[in-house]
Amino acid sequence: MEDFRNDFRNFILDTRTLPTLPGIVSKLNSLVENSKSSLQEMARLVSSDQVISARILRLANSPSYGFYRVSTISNAMILLGVDVVKSLILSSSIFEIMENSILGLWEHSLGAGVAANIIAKRLKLQECEEISTAALLHDIGKVIIRLKLEEEYEMLLRNNEEKGTASDLIERQNFGTDHAEVGGWLAQNWNLPEKLSVPIRFHHNVDETEIHQVKASVVHMADVLIRASGFSRGGDTCVPRIQPTAWNRLGLNDSILSEIVEELEDKLVDVKNFSMEIHATDDRQT
Amino acid sequence: MQKIPFSLAQPGMILARDVIRADKPNGPPICGKGLVLTESLIERLANLEVQSITVHGNPLGIDGVKTLEEDLESLERRFRLVSDDPLAEKLKNVYRDYLVRTSGD
Ligand SMILES: [Fe+2]
Ligand SMILES: [Fe+2]
Repeated sequence: MEDFRNDFRNFILDTRTLPTLPGIVSKLNSLVENSKSSLQEMARLVSSDQVISARILRLANSPSYGFYRVSTISNAMILLGVDVVKSLILSSSIFEIMENSILGLWEHSLGAGVAANIIAKRLKLQECEEISTAALLHDIGKVIIRLKLEEEYEMLLRNNEEKGTASDLIERQNFGTDHAEVGGWLAQNWNLPEKLSVPIRFHHNVDETEIHQVKASVVHMADVLIRASGFSRGGDTCVPRIQPTAWNRLGLNDSILSEIVEELEDKLVDVKNFSMEIHATDDRQT
Repeated sequence: MQKIPFSLAQPGMILARDVIRADKPNGPPICGKGLVLTESLIERLANLEVQSITVHGNPLGIDGVKTLEEDLESLERRFRLVSDDPLAEKLKNVYRDYLVRTSGD
């Protein structure tokens, strides 16, 4: 099984079939490393690519972040932070694929982003934007498996829909690994900061990480909540077990939970609307 | 019947559920169901930062709100694999309470 898992890792990370990273990322990285470069310089660099700027602004204005209106890249940099903007650049090409791949995964991801934002703010956690972003990207492993295996993966998920078996379990049975680990590989491969890669990697097994456990716990709960709401499927139809480590780590209880659910249900109307608008613009463009 | 974002509220729409303040979910309703929306009412609700409303008909053309029975049934279906998990059970109850409280039918 271990060999199988390694083979699968090589298969996933094979750059010949991995979406190419925008060249702007390496330029941005060198700006970030140079402590003298200002946020304005970085914003100018990103703004010079219109396609990427448009994608970032679209995500920055998604209900996952709950800002009123983000109209410029430098605004997005200030509000979201350079790390988040960088990971959005990296993931925007994957998002493009996500919108048209596994049914409902895009809505599921947006919804999880919103849920994570609500939880993080309700619990007054630090780095809410990073947490929302990690939740937005938590199932990115599914997109990449879908990209590599094409219909084979979708068939596998669809055949299990009746029974409701969790996708990560099916994946482990078939590939020796699951989409959480695959997402972690990808995030590492992209040099995303650990506060993003760890929650992605451990959203189905929070107790296996020692660092960023609070962030991983929020992402786990966000995933559970969005499935509990029945908002969208994205390859999974049933509510998974709530990991006691996550529940305890966040100090949740019935009354906090019901406040969060109340707010989430209210915001999900916006999410539905946002995603319909996006689909409408995409249809017009193509 | 359909839940819509408040930004899409139009005069003439009829409230299918009471409007409750988002910041006071257990407080008294600000507007009763059956009321017909007018320009001034919409403005008043906007000032109270109402986020969403439920209206009669299907103005957005997406799937409308289901009956409480249907909602509770699909809730049970989604939770069917974790009936032995006390924490998931808590969450299901929170959702059931939410559905019952907001159904208003
Ligand atoms: Fe997942
Ligand atoms: Fe998920």
